[in-house]
Amino acid sequence: MKKIYIAAFVLSASIFTGCSSDYLDVDQTETISTNDTELYNNDAGAAQFVTAIYNKFLNWDMTSFGWIGLSSITSDDADKGSSPGDTGTDKDVLDALTYNASNPSAESTFIANYDGINRCNQALNILPKLDKVDAGLRSRLAGEAKFMRAFMYFTLVKCYGGVPIVDHLPVPGLESDRVMQLTRKTAAEVYTFIEADLNDAIAALPDKTAYSADEKARVSKGAAYALLAKVSLYQKKWQQVIDNCNKVTGYALVSDYASQYKATGKFDSESIFEIYAQGAVPSKGIEGYSNTQGARGTGGWGWGFNTPSQSLVNAYEAGDVRKAATIIFRGQTLYDGRVIPNTVENERYNYKAYSSAYTNAWETDVDIKYLRYAEVLLMKAEASNELGQTSAAIPLVNQIRNRAGLGNTTASSQADVRTAIWKERRVEMAFEHDRFFDLVRTGQAKAAFAVDGKVFTEGKNELFPIPASFIKQAGGLSAQNPGY
Amino acid sequence: MKNFIFSFLALLLLPAYMSGQAIKGKVVDSSGMGIPGAVISASNSRTTADADFDGNFTINAKEGEILKISMLGFDPVSVPATTAPMKITLKESEDTALKEVVVIGYGTRKKVDNTTAISSIKSEEIVKTKVLNASQAIQGKAAGVQVISSDLPGSTPSVVIRGLGTAIGGRNPLYIVDGMQTENINNINTNDITSYEILKDASALAIYGTRAANGVIIITTKKGSGDKVSVEVESFAGFRAPLKTVKMAGSNKYSYYSNAALQSTTFSQDQPVNTDWFDEITRTGSYTQNNVSVSGATENVKYFFSLGNYEEKAVLNGLDFGRTTFRNNNEYKISKKVTLNQNFSVSSANSSPKPLSAFTNAYKQSPIVPVYFADGKYGVSRVGENGFASETGSSFNNVGNPVAQLNFYDEQQRSVTLQGGLKLDYEIIKSLKFTSQFNGEFYTWKQYNYDDTKNIWLAANPNKVDSDYAKEFPNGNINLLTKGREQYFNWNLSNYLTYNKVFAEIHDVEATAGIETSVKGPREKLTIARKNVNPDSNYWALNDPNAGHGVEYAATVTSLYDVVFNETKLASYFGRFQYKLMDRYLVTGTLRRDGSSNFGKDYRWGTFPAFGLGWVITKEDFMSDVKAINLLKLRGGWGKLGNQNVPLNNQSYASGKNAYLGGSILYEGTTISSQIDPSLSWEVTEESSVGLDFELLNNRLKGSFDLYDKNTSNVILFTKPYMTSGLTDQSPAHVGEVSNKGYEISLRWEDKIGDNFSYWIGGNFSNNKNELTGLKDVILAPKTGGSLGNGQTTKLLDNTTIGQPLGSFYLYEYAGFDATNGKMLYYNAAGDKVTQDALDANKDRKYMGSSLPKTNYGITLGFNYKNFDFSVDGYGTGGAKVYNGKKAQRFSGENIEDSLATNFWTLNNLSASNPAPFNEVPVASTYYLESGDFFRINNITVGYKLPIASNNFISSCRLYVNAINPFITQKFSGFSPELNGDGDPYGTQGVELDAYPTLRSFVIGANLKF
Repeated sequence: MKKIYIAAFVLSASIFTGCSSDYLDVDQTETISTNDTELYNNDAGAAQFVTAIYNKFLNWDMTSFGWIGLSSITSDDADKGSSPGDTGTDKDVLDALTYNASNPSAESTFIANYDGINRCNQALNILPKLDKVDAGLRSRLAGEAKFMRAFMYFTLVKCYGGVPIVDHLPVPGLESDRVMQLTRKTAAEVYTFIEADLNDAIAALPDKTAYSADEKARVSKGAAYALLAKVSLYQKKWQQVIDNCNKVTGYALVSDYASQYKATGKFDSESIFEIYAQGAVPSKGIEGYSNTQGARGTGGWGWGFNTPSQSLVNAYEAGDVRKAATIIFRGQTLYDGRVIPNTVENERYNYKAYSSAYTNAWETDVDIKYLRYAEVLLMKAEASNELGQTSAAIPLVNQIRNRAGLGNTTASSQADVRTAIWKERRVEMAFEHDRFFDLVRTGQAKAAFAVDGKVFTEGKNELFPIPASFIKQAGGLSAQNPGY
Repeated sequence: MKNFIFSFLALLLLPAYMSGQAIKGKVVDSSGMGIPGAVISASNSRTTADADFDGNFTINAKEGEILKISMLGFDPVSVPATTAPMKITLKESEDTALKEVVVIGYGTRKKVDNTTAISSIKSEEIVKTKVLNASQAIQGKAAGVQVISSDLPGSTPSVVIRGLGTAIGGRNPLYIVDGMQTENINNINTNDITSYEILKDASALAIYGTRAANGVIIITTKKGSGDKVSVEVESFAGFRAPLKTVKMAGSNKYSYYSNAALQSTTFSQDQPVNTDWFDEITRTGSYTQNNVSVSGATENVKYFFSLGNYEEKAVLNGLDFGRTTFRNNNEYKISKKVTLNQNFSVSSANSSPKPLSAFTNAYKQSPIVPVYFADGKYGVSRVGENGFASETGSSFNNVGNPVAQLNFYDEQQRSVTLQGGLKLDYEIIKSLKFTSQFNGEFYTWKQYNYDDTKNIWLAANPNKVDSDYAKEFPNGNINLLTKGREQYFNWNLSNYLTYNKVFAEIHDVEATAGIETSVKGPREKLTIARKNVNPDSNYWALNDPNAGHGVEYAATVTSLYDVVFNETKLASYFGRFQYKLMDRYLVTGTLRRDGSSNFGKDYRWGTFPAFGLGWVITKEDFMSDVKAINLLKLRGGWGKLGNQNVPLNNQSYASGKNAYLGGSILYEGTTISSQIDPSLSWEVTEESSVGLDFELLNNRLKGSFDLYDKNTSNVILFTKPYMTSGLTDQSPAHVGEVSNKGYEISLRWEDKIGDNFSYWIGGNFSNNKNELTGLKDVILAPKTGGSLGNGQTTKLLDNTTIGQPLGSFYLYEYAGFDATNGKMLYYNAAGDKVTQDALDANKDRKYMGSSLPKTNYGITLGFNYKNFDFSVDGYGTGGAKVYNGKKAQRFSGENIEDSLATNFWTLNNLSASNPAPFNEVPVASTYYLESGDFFRINNITVGYKLPIASNNFISSCRLYVNAINPFITQKFSGFSPELNGDGDPYGTQGVELDAYPTLRSFVIGANLKF
């Protein structure tokens, strides 16, 4: 009998061997532990962390309703649209430029971009640890992450001015990281950070031709140069604009402007940085992008927001093919034969958000072309003109006009050419999430909004409010933008 | 340490070997069973001895010397020593207080020597109320223990002991069934329970360390006894019906109200149909229970077998539940020093669930809709030109046909729970016992749910024909079959030593020390959904004999979930020291050290100390003259407890962030979207308590009074990460502080009048103040709760909740209606009365009280007269709020309550008590919030024992009738103010929506012994 007790004692003692340190280590089974980096220590595994960044661009909060509100409905190109009683949460106040510090669209855009930045930082943090991954691939993936981080900070600095620069994964409890997350930097510091990221990206990224057909959405060296040019444009570093535009090679304007916005026009010769959407099951399109902007009412298929304004309609010269490519008019027959009946609620809708194959789907095949070669030409034209090389600028503008079915510009003085370029940017890039920021950048905002019947308050409306909830979190480390 | 104990013992035992001769004997009780631990003392020889496990003793004394034999719970006797083996029979003491034993963790203790707050409920009390789950039966019977139950068969009641100390952690007490820790006792046959002990204060609970913060319930099942085979049969049958129903408007009143709402004449006010939907979906419930047990004991074996079966046809049509249990508990005496206890139980439960939303749909569906149209199709809420329900008219609400809902709902569940354990007791030397106990639990569950998709659609669209389905849903399923499987194995092993000795007659020492491990094995759950299966359930899982395997179903699988939940392990050391001086001064000290695999390596070990003090005042000399007071005991203690059932702190990759990158290949995307503090660990509760136990007037009045102050200082709540961190997941962190303060009183008067009549009356009352007292400097991720399923939520926990009780409703305050147009008005933050579209969700809502009661109380009374017995038990709560969630659902053509149907604002009825009919979803407001106070008679029993001589074949037969929940007084206008919902104070607890009604049951039964 004694043997039993001895056995029992031994058994219980052995269970607690070594003060239980091993005994209590239980492997996770319901979720994948972040300690298990080895699982991703291969080429496909490493790529997953960067795919997650591309995925962010498809999210509702990143690229859809709130972003449409901030970047488009606010501008003079678009009106709220939809039914008069449907505010779309806050699209009415965005349209009227009367939003306050708690504006939901301004908040969700802020959160979404930092969500994306976290994904970039996660990728940049783990990639150096994945030592079994091809070194070239790791470097390229890091370049992609840096490009997208730069893109997101560019969005933030355009929307909010200086914002906190979170350039690495914060360590919980570490005071310096807490301060990093809660303290706004100046806009200049953010631009410096963006440029550094883009220069790293340029060094790491290949030309677009290096990618296979299934990976054309990945960012390339050309995209990084183009974005650096645009970032330089916003800082009025004119020579740097020209230098970088010159390095965007291997691209050309397509002959048919309208083709770019159809499913067949994905990754055409003009496309530099494009958010790729797939409507086929399993769909991975931009959540709600087409639907929120789709025609509303009987015979329609969407919520009817972000409708082209009369001011935009008026901006097109007679014969400009871009008008018909940009605006759906009530009663019209679309390129695929769909008739927009007169029973829909609004006179006009955004053609660039229309999906022929997945019209009323939540996720469609509508891409967003954030950087096109046409813009590179216009940026180069603008920088040249600002540097006094007006004669170099004019042929660039004419390339854009001729493709749109228009004759050469009649402007010749530096001031007239400047105005001509700005106007060309408007009609060329309407509904491509650029107009509001362009108005602010060029100082045209107050006048432009006055034409549209809205009051743009200088010293305030250049920037959106930092979300009030963030100011509260910051507890004194960050201040609100003026006027909010 | 061991050496020290042995030398200490040796020193104390030395005098026993010094003089006289060995006198041998046996101490037995009136039934002849040995009394282990009886104390034999020879005053002249100054020797003492303890009886061993069989009651045998040997003592050094002189022949003829007077031996005093005593044992707690028995009257002491003095007899002269004889050289021949003595047999001493002790008579059980009348003083019950001395006899009563309570089960404490890893041992038992005489109640009188216990310093802690433990409520003990004996089997007679538990079986009296004929309900399935023992926890429901104890409702109102223990002060400080709040039970919120539901009469839904198979449901698990919520048990809250001395207030809720956690917001997102586990809330359930720890159940210990014969040493096995489990999460619930749904598998335990109430008839098999000997005692149900509720450990309430920290000094009792600390021995269970990091699992004890919600209290511990120890359940002990029966053992055999006596010297012959005893067979008991217990059977009852009863029927059940809702205790209270809500009178709905009939079809003409409905039409009147709805026309007023729509300001039209859509509905005819002379309706041909008047459907009472509640009647249509319910039936008179019935239930039966049968139990047979066989028990007995021989010299070396005690045995107990029991077989039980419970069947219920619930009041909701089609909802059936059955449970069969088997138990075998044996005790083997292997040698004089070794005893082995073995227990084993099987429980198999079968049910065909039905959706409780049918109750809400029956409440909402219009009475003008027939159950079936004349052509046999299910009625739908469409109204024709004539103002009557029609198959083709226009739809006037989006409520389905509740009868169709129940008829189409096809689900079966079956679970089997096996529990078993071995417990070995070895008396190493006198006074030192070693116990080793192993318990295991295996659970397996399976389920199917068959959704007849196409026919459900056709039933809801009588104007459509079969072929329309394929047109409208080209890729739609004809049907969908979901199958689920789940299983787990949990076990625990404990080894401990118990040392018990009285030194110099006045120092009574008991010490326990041991180690334990508890493992909750990985729980596996598999769920598969397949579309377009054969409508005949026999052919859902076919074999393909030619292929040598089953038929390939991959192409029809629409979803497949296969989860293995994390295993959790606990390793523990525990010790307890109990000391009693001169039978009156009591000291208890407890220490437990737990290591839990739930937490990070450096944060997984915690220490949980406690102490208790007691003073049996009546043992003092100065009290010996106070005859009116039989027992007066003051006790108190302090302790620290943990709750390890909190959100896991393991950080995980977030997968599924997939994207196409320009072609048709979907690339997987992974990131990390959470940051979890590695130092996250258990919640810690500290409790101080004092109590007074008393027995007065010849033990006829017994009672106790308890006061406690509990504070959980590191409550885990979800905080919002900095917005710039980009982390989208909430981070659990130790940021809150919750306080529970309260008192408990229980009293019981018991007496006899003459030989034939005995009676008792008793009651208990408890009050608890629960409050979120503090938050660290963080911004919480707001936790909303009590969703009404229509975009409205009724509860909130965020930074503004400080100072409020947990489970608080957060609502707009109703301000009456506008006399000019009958519109509902609400107070905004400025105190102005505004309509709902002018309300600001961020500013205008207020805290309006909690769904958890502040007080609860129970009463019991009864008598025995000759062969009759009669008893009544009642239960009530106070201070809780309930939300009339079903009423708040109406927004267009749903039915209304009869009391509302004509009593509403019109220009001609400005003094009406209700606003004008409206056609929008009302905001969650105090208009729908009502008092949850109620008092209910839980049980009335009348029994009669047939006058049978005890030597008959049938030795005893008692017949009884029970009325369960026969009466209630409540303020709530709905079905039942006792609303457990999902058991979560931040879920649907306290919200009457899709709620099963409380039932009134009448039962007749018999109890036979052979």
